Amino acid sequence: MTVGRALPWTLAWAVTIALGLAATESPAGAQQTPGERLPVHEVALSNGMRFLALRRDGAPTVSFVTRYGVGGVNERVGTTGIAHLLEHMLFKGTSTIGTRDIAAERALFSRMDATHDTLLVARARGDSVTAGALRGRIAALEDAARAFVEPNELDRIFTEAGARGLNATTSNDATTYFVELPSNRTELWFALEADRMRDPVFREYYTERDVVAEERRLRVETSPFGRLYEEHLSAAYTVHPYGVPVVGFMSDIEALSRRDVESYYRRFYGPGNAVVAIVGDVDPDRIESWARRYFEGIPAGELPPPVLAEEPRQPSERRITVEWDAEPRLRIGWHVPASLHADAPALGILGALLTGGRTTRLQRRMVIEDRIATAVSASMGPGERFPGLFFVDAVPRSPHTTDEQERAVYAEIARLAAEGPSEAELERVRNQIEAGNVRRISSNLGLAFQLADSESLTGDWRSTFRQSARLREVTSAEVRRVAAEYLTENNRTVAVLVRREGP
Amino acid sequence: MTSARGLRSAVAALALVVGNVATAAAQVPTGREAVRALRFPPLDFSPPTPERHEVEGVPVLLLENHDLPLVNVFARFLGGYGLFAREWYAPAMGLPALMRTGGTDELSPDSVDNLFEYYSIEASFGTGGGSVSIALNTVTQHLDVALDLWSDLIARPGFDADAIDLWRGRELESARRLQDDPGSLAYSQFNRLLYGDHPVGWQTSPDDLAPERVAQERFREMHRRIVCRENLILGVSGDVSWETVRPRLQRLVAALAPCPESLPRAPAPAIRRGGGVFLIERPLEQAFIVMAHPASVRLADEPTYFAATIGNSILGGGGFSSRLVARLRTQSGFTYTASSIWTMPRRYDGVVGATTSTRPDAAVPAIRLMLEAMEEMRSTPPTQAEVRTAVDGVVNGFAFNFETPSQIVSRMMFYVAEEWPEDWLERYASGIQRVTPAQVREVFAEQVHPDQMTILIVGDPERVGREQLAPLGPLTVLQIN
Repeated sequence: MTVGRALPWTLAWAVTIALGLAATESPAGAQQTPGERLPVHEVALSNGMRFLALRRDGAPTVSFVTRYGVGGVNERVGTTGIAHLLEHMLFKGTSTIGTRDIAAERALFSRMDATHDTLLVARARGDSVTAGALRGRIAALEDAARAFVEPNELDRIFTEAGARGLNATTSNDATTYFVELPSNRTELWFALEADRMRDPVFREYYTERDVVAEERRLRVETSPFGRLYEEHLSAAYTVHPYGVPVVGFMSDIEALSRRDVESYYRRFYGPGNAVVAIVGDVDPDRIESWARRYFEGIPAGELPPPVLAEEPRQPSERRITVEWDAEPRLRIGWHVPASLHADAPALGILGALLTGGRTTRLQRRMVIEDRIATAVSASMGPGERFPGLFFVDAVPRSPHTTDEQERAVYAEIARLAAEGPSEAELERVRNQIEAGNVRRISSNLGLAFQLADSESLTGDWRSTFRQSARLREVTSAEVRRVAAEYLTENNRTVAVLVRREGP
Repeated sequence: MTSARGLRSAVAALALVVGNVATAAAQVPTGREAVRALRFPPLDFSPPTPERHEVEGVPVLLLENHDLPLVNVFARFLGGYGLFAREWYAPAMGLPALMRTGGTDELSPDSVDNLFEYYSIEASFGTGGGSVSIALNTVTQHLDVALDLWSDLIARPGFDADAIDLWRGRELESARRLQDDPGSLAYSQFNRLLYGDHPVGWQTSPDDLAPERVAQERFREMHRRIVCRENLILGVSGDVSWETVRPRLQRLVAALAPCPESLPRAPAPAIRRGGGVFLIERPLEQAFIVMAHPASVRLADEPTYFAATIGNSILGGGGFSSRLVARLRTQSGFTYTASSIWTMPRRYDGVVGATTSTRPDAAVPAIRLMLEAMEEMRSTPPTQAEVRTAVDGVVNGFAFNFETPSQIVSRMMFYVAEEWPEDWLERYASGIQRVTPAQVREVFAEQVHPDQMTILIVGDPERVGREQLAPLGPLTVLQIN
């Protein structure tokens, strides 16, 4: 097939024109990606909070993404799940929103919390009778406090305003809140978000902790895949907190106190640790003035202490099995560097070459030719800030075993490491990156996520787009090198889901 | 430590760090009163309307948008597995997948894959049972090659025998894995329980996938019946003009045969009535619960439809603002997720009910809360404030119906295909604004009967408690192979 590499230049150019941007040439001929040229208006407040505002043509809607640079990685065993529980608690309102009588509510909080302290002591003693009675007491107190609660008022205000997708997500690296609003209600977001940043109230705390326990039951304890992934991470990481589940261990969730959660919030969820990206039908100057008006006065807060834990080099292959009442499944993970490391782009290309489409090496061999799997996919996780894992997941096709999947995966990786990808394969991936550079900026909410993530992670919203430019430069030799260097036997952890024997 | 003290001490400590900001903090009013005092300008917005064209009698809706060098093309064919007898289920269900993966009359499946991936063309081929929807997304630069390839897959699919074999093997594996996830198991078994031998209740079985049922000629037959000219509506959005795209669409339409005969009508479902409790025994950490019974409200520009829609939002369709989430999650801590279900098809009866998942010992209390919430909707009108929340969400969020050109075009294609009023969104917004609390109560009193719910539980019988289940209705243990 002879198709020139015409895509990159013309595409970048077309986007520049379409967005109506000045066609500024960057120095030394370095070509900018479409994303880097977006006219993002940056606002930095004196408390360290950063806003990124981007006006886009189209429907009169606005996407808001608020990212705090604190997540599962900042937790310790004993209080795991705290960032995720906080994610839930920030929807509970403030000292005015969500309440009919804040003083009456707070008076009950202290009694509930003292009872909870006693409950933890009883639990530690193994006194289940007392513990059960104290749980009932806490529930009764929370029900009493509920008489003063205006339930889900924050959600209702957003809903009535026509909001879409009000939600949040907690990862190892960050906690991110998002919502979309009709653009005439942009100021409403500022009023509500500033209010809850300044003045959140963790009402209905013990009930919400139960909700989180149910979330864990749903995602992990009743899900064969959820369980396999959790066990795999736990085996792959012996030191670094990436091995600890973001949702938290059940016994930790059940022991987290309102005090733990509050003090964690006061320290790490201030404006100094927050980045907001606002994309859509907005006037960036208005955004700046609202940002200053609503957020400038909120104290900066602290930054989480640096995560100094380092995962030691893995001495030999690790293997675990998870027994479940389900068909088999395989997850392999190799330790790889963090997303900003110089080798990360080559690893990204390696993933695309292995499973990024029906013509790729593992898909072709395992799914289409040998037909030993129904699905195989490569990905990286469980975070970006610290050294992560290069995953390969495979779903065997009966009667083929996970052993066969493993052998096929290792054989293809060895072949790629020995021969390197062909120029045609690399060109295909480059074309996909180029098209992806356009597709990824088509949704306002998606774009807001990328800007906030990149700014929060690297201090520069452009880095995410620069990374994709770097992907295009990856050579065949680099792919061979990273495959040979990282995807080795000693460096991998293999988790296999096996069907439970017997009844 | 109380919250109040925690707040003050933290603020004081931090103010020392950042200097003068504490004084500024007092200046900006936030909180409920400040929010209530905000006034919002009206939205000045006229939604773009797709242009209407025609190619050889086939309607084409086009909405140009040149913000990004991307083009979307959509083809929607009436017809799908829901219209044919069970023996045609697998080839009709698999038709879109095999159109994508079975090559063309000229190109092998591999060659097609290579072209798609080399040019980074994204395509989706799917079916909802009553129609087949095929979409294309490409950078403008490769529109010609993408559209020609896409058209060939639609009009001249190869249905390569080896590709059929590959698809069949994957379907068999999916059938084997149906029970891996308890939530999926609950929903599929519930459909089967309620709809029986009706397309909604069907699950792909090894019998459906017997080689003679998925032979090449059977895909060709389904293609002949569905993928023909009179069944087609086309849509285009993005960085393209009518002059550019017209010859390509003409080429597609010219390659399609006229429909040989009209499509069969979808069979009317006979939805299970009479209630009862059904248990699929699994030693799980949560019980998965689904309940419903038939309901006769249909999609129509009528007060009953709008009242049922708003009522469903208040009961459990409206997320955190709804009663089921408030009671099962916010107040009881029983669950991460709870919602009501009210399907309102246009031509047939639907179902009304609810679903959740919870720890086993809370399963029966959760079921009771759900039934009580339904009973209250029958006996007492919702508050005016609840109705307002549901209505305002739709009315104030109206602009979200017009976020992307492709969304606007796809919706309009649906209206044209279904001969549905093209101003439906306006009618809908106006219809729900007329709903009164009394109408909501009336439609619930007439349509919703908590004592007639068919209730399915996937969970641990001992920890859920057989005795607790007994008062909910006659118990049947379902054996799933």
